[in-house]
Amino acid sequence: MKRDKKIPAIALTAAMCLAAVGCGQSPASSETTASSENSATTEAAGQAATEAAAETTAEAEPAEEVTLNFWHHYSAQSPENETLTNVLIPKFEEENPGITVNAVSHEWADLHDKILISAQSDTLPDVARLDSAWVPEFQKMGILVPLNKEMSDFQDVADGLLESAMTTAQIGGDSYGLALNTNTKILYYNTEAFEKAGLQAPATMDEFVEDCKKLSGTNDAGQQVWGYDEPGLAGWNLCPFIWSMGGSLTNEDQTKATGYLNSKETVAAIQMLADLYQEQAITGWNSGDIPMTDGFGTGRYMMLLEGPWKVSELAGAYPEFKYSTAPVPAGDGGSISVLGGEDIGMFNTANKDAAWKFMKFMTSEYAQEEMAKCGQIPCNKEALESDTVKNADFAPYIEQLKTAKSRPTVASWSEIDSELTASVTSVMNGEQTAQEAMDDLAKKVDALLAE
Amino acid sequence: MKLKGKSKAQIGLLLLPGLLIFCIFTVYPIIRLFWMSFFKWDFGSFLSQKFIGLENYRSVVTDPYFQTSFVNTIVYTLITVPAQMILGLLVAILINSVKKFKIGFRVAYYLPVITSWVIASLVFKYVFNTEGLLNYFLTNVIHVTGSNIRWLDSRWGGMTVAMLLGIWKGIGWNMVVFLAALQAVPQELYESAALDGAGSWQKFRYVTLPGIKGTVLFALVMLTIGGFNVYTSTKLITDGKPGHDTEVVLTWMYYKAFSTGKFGYSAALSFIIAFILGILAILEFRLMQNKEQQ
Repeated sequence: MKRDKKIPAIALTAAMCLAAVGCGQSPASSETTASSENSATTEAAGQAATEAAAETTAEAEPAEEVTLNFWHHYSAQSPENETLTNVLIPKFEEENPGITVNAVSHEWADLHDKILISAQSDTLPDVARLDSAWVPEFQKMGILVPLNKEMSDFQDVADGLLESAMTTAQIGGDSYGLALNTNTKILYYNTEAFEKAGLQAPATMDEFVEDCKKLSGTNDAGQQVWGYDEPGLAGWNLCPFIWSMGGSLTNEDQTKATGYLNSKETVAAIQMLADLYQEQAITGWNSGDIPMTDGFGTGRYMMLLEGPWKVSELAGAYPEFKYSTAPVPAGDGGSISVLGGEDIGMFNTANKDAAWKFMKFMTSEYAQEEMAKCGQIPCNKEALESDTVKNADFAPYIEQLKTAKSRPTVASWSEIDSELTASVTSVMNGEQTAQEAMDDLAKKVDALLAE
Repeated sequence: MKLKGKSKAQIGLLLLPGLLIFCIFTVYPIIRLFWMSFFKWDFGSFLSQKFIGLENYRSVVTDPYFQTSFVNTIVYTLITVPAQMILGLLVAILINSVKKFKIGFRVAYYLPVITSWVIASLVFKYVFNTEGLLNYFLTNVIHVTGSNIRWLDSRWGGMTVAMLLGIWKGIGWNMVVFLAALQAVPQELYESAALDGAGSWQKFRYVTLPGIKGTVLFALVMLTIGGFNVYTSTKLITDGKPGHDTEVVLTWMYYKAFSTGKFGYSAALSFIIAFILGILAILEFRLMQNKEQQ
């Protein structure tokens, strides 16, 4: 009996050990803490600026005080965030006395989840910078304001912004956001490797396939090298190939996938990538592969499709590395890349007048030009013509943007995207043929689109 | 002894804050989640939900991705739990019998337990990467293979790495628990067993094991729950790749809720898992009780 009494004691010790394990996990959450601390200083800076602005204007115009909550995912330490808090918000507050902007920086993935949670507890911010891929989900939840219906001067504002970028927030004829900044992917290639092999940047998909094969193999150090790297098999990764080769994911109305996702052209694009993978000419999406920037910077991957952010990443990590850029190789469908970028939208709990003023300000020529200085490609047509943009090496992206397309703006996109990844993964690993996989996938996607 | 009314009130008052916190942050969310699991609760119905009965439960059970993740979790638990317990017990017995550096050994085996899951997972990923340390060792140092082995790129490859991490990290906890239990086994029993002519295996079988049975059961239940709760390691090592093949129930639950917005589905999934865990715990207790009666 004496023995039995020890068991609770042992249990207690064990529980304490478990608690210690729990503590061990805390570094995972420290990042978010860091960013919220940063946003706290952001707020403080913002408020200080407001006070300064208030001193000059308060006496003249005793307007009603409004605090606008603006959530975004400019990283806390980034130049974008600095421009936002030190240049743009003070300027906006000066122009609009009585409105205080409380900007909060979140991690990209956090912001999506935070908005989901806040929607449920009625604590949404007024305005948010949204990854364009999120807009359909939030629209379906019914928390985004249809701007064209509620804002009388919507059309004037929309006309001043890039049409292609505006389509990312267009659902069923209504617009749920303004295009804030845009981007797309272009071809990056290793200049030295191409010169050594006597090659030029591939202009067509056929040349791309040839170059991938020629540039893969083993390097002087005996390491394996690949002609091309693709870090995933989602729509963001596959669409440039599918579209450029004349394929598509759905019909124009985004209601049907059969006949599009399993069309001859789409299947050919997937098959082309699978063949290249089988020949070990491309790689990148496996868990064990070298990360993209490292592989490219150290000459293991010869080509990438990437966006404007890669320039600063490469300059930071591999300043000596020489690379050039070119348009996406053209196929039967032309040279078509995939649209990325962000929209700015307001939630239906917002103070709509103030929120709309802020959204117009953020998409104005002035704000867009300031953000362009930090590497954000503007959507404002006038800002695109400014000297800042012309001097900023955006030219290849702006050229590619003319034909770039947005991924389907449907609420079930993330599920479709994940099914697409799973199907194409099985093709890559030789478990199914591209035609079989795409036939099955098209049926699943039809069901998801009908939901 | 009966408690007087006054002291009962005092106890109630002292328990109240803890009880309140428990109710608000544990009981209420569980009830609410149970409620959610019977509703269509996704992007299209976020603000007004429709009652759909057991539809969520049906779609979880028939979902091939859930089935994959469930099998992965079961395999993970079936392999890591016995491995951790056997190795932990072995280490505990060894440490219990060494005379010197007892504390040094204990600290050494306990270190993995206090290492952060995130950091340990990243280190394991780094070691098992196609261009990682292990492949470097195999191809460039001892020349066993000519080309890199792709450890992480298949379903069972990725799961094996996660299981290795789980075992490596779990040994220390088991060691501490079993060490405490071993020290509680009365020394006289060993002495009398020795008098009866028992060898070391017989001592272990007939004295040690019955003596620590309660702890074995306790560890079994805790570790089974722990095995079903595996998340950080698989999330960081493979993140479900390739094509959701290395998903476990918790990563799948998170994915469905926060990436695709299917909150009703995830609520149902969590209750299915809780139900299975409950059954497992009861079974494990029964099993031990039966043995006791024999």
